[in-house]
Amino acid sequence: MLRTLLEHLQLIFEKTVYIYGLGLLVIYACLALLSFYSVRRFLRKESYTDYKVIVGSELAPGVSVIAPAFNEGLTIISNVRSLLTFDYPKYEVIIINDGSTDDTLEKVIKEFSLVKIDFAFDIKIASKPIRGIYKSTDDAYAKLVIVDKENGKSKADATNAGINIASFPYFLCTDVDCILHEQTLQKLIRPIMEEENARVIATGATLRMANSCEIDKGVIIKVKAPRPLLARFQELEYIRSFVLGKMGWSQINCVPNVSGGLGMFDKEIAIKAGGYDPASFGEDMELLMRMNRYVHDNKIKAAVRYIPVTLCWTEGPTSLKVFMRQRTRWGRGLFQLMLTHRKMLFNPRYGRVGMVMFPYNFLFELLAPFVESIGIVYYILLAIFGLVNWPYAIILLLFVYSFAIMISTLAVLWDQLTFQYYKTWTDVARIASMVFVEMILYHPLIVIFALRGYFFHIFNRKHSWGNMQRRGFKPSSAAGTTAAT
Amino acid sequence: MWKDLADLLFQAYEQYSLLPLFIEIALAFIFLAILSTLIAYSAILYKRYRAYVYEKRLAFISPKIEDMITEQVLLNPNLGYDIPLESIEFDPKALSDKIYRKPFVRQMMIDTLIQYRKNFRGEVGELLRKLYIDMGLDKDSFAKMKTLRWERKIKAVVELTQMDIPISDVTILPLTNSGNPALRAAARNAYIQLSKNEPFKFFDIATEPLLPWDQLEMFKIITTTKDIAIPNFSRWVSYSTNKSIVSFCLKLIAHYDQQSAIPAVMELLSNKDHYFRADAINCLGKLSAEVAEDKLVKIYNNQPLNCQIEILKALGRIASGKHLEFLKSEFLYSSNFDIRMNAARSIIKHNTQNSRLMVEELMEMTHEENQLIIKHCLNPLIKY
Repeated sequence: MLRTLLEHLQLIFEKTVYIYGLGLLVIYACLALLSFYSVRRFLRKESYTDYKVIVGSELAPGVSVIAPAFNEGLTIISNVRSLLTFDYPKYEVIIINDGSTDDTLEKVIKEFSLVKIDFAFDIKIASKPIRGIYKSTDDAYAKLVIVDKENGKSKADATNAGINIASFPYFLCTDVDCILHEQTLQKLIRPIMEEENARVIATGATLRMANSCEIDKGVIIKVKAPRPLLARFQELEYIRSFVLGKMGWSQINCVPNVSGGLGMFDKEIAIKAGGYDPASFGEDMELLMRMNRYVHDNKIKAAVRYIPVTLCWTEGPTSLKVFMRQRTRWGRGLFQLMLTHRKMLFNPRYGRVGMVMFPYNFLFELLAPFVESIGIVYYILLAIFGLVNWPYAIILLLFVYSFAIMISTLAVLWDQLTFQYYKTWTDVARIASMVFVEMILYHPLIVIFALRGYFFHIFNRKHSWGNMQRRGFKPSSAAGTTAAT
Repeated sequence: MWKDLADLLFQAYEQYSLLPLFIEIALAFIFLAILSTLIAYSAILYKRYRAYVYEKRLAFISPKIEDMITEQVLLNPNLGYDIPLESIEFDPKALSDKIYRKPFVRQMMIDTLIQYRKNFRGEVGELLRKLYIDMGLDKDSFAKMKTLRWERKIKAVVELTQMDIPISDVTILPLTNSGNPALRAAARNAYIQLSKNEPFKFFDIATEPLLPWDQLEMFKIITTTKDIAIPNFSRWVSYSTNKSIVSFCLKLIAHYDQQSAIPAVMELLSNKDHYFRADAINCLGKLSAEVAEDKLVKIYNNQPLNCQIEILKALGRIASGKHLEFLKSEFLYSSNFDIRMNAARSIIKHNTQNSRLMVEELMEMTHEENQLIIKHCLNPLIKY
């Protein structure tokens, strides 16, 4: 009797896991098709778009670029200079010195001839107190605003302070050490200005690893595939996530997240939704979720759009320790988000967000590490007790492996279809080769670190934000400058 | 051999059909995944190879085209002697070169001519246009107009517009109302540039919206194209049912300072849509419509915040001084920060003896936060 019950349970478990896996693969296949359509449509539009019309236009909406900085003394000057090079007619750059303990503030004050000014602003979103606001006496830096505030122990708190200061109806959220393309603002404002039937509340674009790129004075000179293995895996992951995943979701207006490294937001909606949550570990995803919630609660027809152009390069962690910290935080953020907004799950009131995007994130992002780990343990137990049908087991393993390779290869293909960022065959090969080993070497790390994040959250373990310990960028050989540390 | 292969496949199928369903599905997926991966890699290789070949061809053809244009147009010996363009002939040998029969080269020729025409106006620009026609490239563009692919149609419309080749109303007008936003925008822009008599005729029939992104280009075209007959845009403000057209006309009215449009714009103050009213108030402010001031102040209390802010801004732009007291009371007694900030800005914007005295008085009598607002507004370093 017990044996029969156990056999039944075994069968139910195996079938559930199989259907779960099959469902995930089918969703990925659908995303691949949707993103292909989306990318092609975008490329067709791009072929005749002249972005120069917005550069000199008095009708261009203003954008506030908000970039928090914490102990960035070594690179802050080139970072700020890089942010001041946007090709856009109406923007301001707000740098928030989030209580740095190094010479970040002193350096910018000296370099950009800043003076402390009387600046009136309304505290629409709570943040740690602002100690002072600085503007340049040099007209060349008229677009620059430096906000000096007490450390809020999170990027969210610093960005909220920036939103309170921002003058324009849209804000671009980035990290001060990200390298942004000079056309970032024109390209990100376009989906907002050309949507016919909805209010676009956020837009985003692809991010890539800057690790091995050639950079001169904060500008990318040559894009190269990262050399360090960990960064190369991340590059592949980003390509798959942005070009295939987010472009696919964008097509059906179900984008789950606009990256904290690069995202443009509708300021009014962001403020009404309450701004960034400093207590959140995934503040970017959490804000978008609340913005989505707000527009649905207030019956505002809204959209979130992505474009498949790389506009932001960021330095990915190359040490396992830093990478673990980053991914643990992401895992914890996802767990926290799902708990906070659990009422949205399968709630038709929230439309596609409640019925598609949120359930997907719950079932296939949050639960996936659990299901995978349980599956592996179960497999091992079966193997120990000699209950594995090896030919079938190998077929099933091949099934998952070949599908994972297919999805990643398609992502690389879509990326190649958009813009051929890599100039050499070797760079393409470097990324394409990762497809075959990612599942064996990289994916287990992602699962372990995500579970670690969940564990930390469940047992309320203290999380140290730590420092990204950036290694700096390799300068262009033509420029002949020394590398920033 | 074929028989053996068929037998083998049949046996494999028999084996396959004996497997459990979940393994059958898995095997089907494996086959699909391997096939798709191989196709994807082939596509990557092909795509990069094509890009490589394109670059090579470009490097080979581009100098030839540029040399030809330089010889035939820029260094044309007949230029500068007031010779009518129609009588200037190009070297037939250069034009009939076999290379210019290839579609790829012809397209490159069109693109290069467009680039040159952007840089050269006057006689040279006209000669470039003549070269485009004499080589029969206009026929290529018209052929593209007839395709079903919308992006090809857009390309054709842009080429013909850049080369100043007339397109009949029958062809272009229906496109100005196309369901495809991109094609619609290109057709509208072309119509404004090419129609000599009534460039804004499509405003009358436009039922599809004029998107903010499309307004950018259209605004640029209208405000920079020479010899364009600028109408009184109040016509559409009064009669158009297309909100985006009205909104765009308000911007044009402000840009061209069409004072005669003020009564029509004032009519919009009773419109139900508050975004629309805000646009109208903004326009009145930019027109410095003193005649509208009293009405703006009268309706102020019944307006939502965005309209109230626009009214305060408008009073600052008009700056007649009649409503300084109103601005002062808003600054002193409003609980809304944005209202106080805009009221202060508008008082300062008056820049008269009275307003300066009022600012001094306010600095003395008001509380610390309001003083900070005034200091903020007075600071020349703060631009926005």
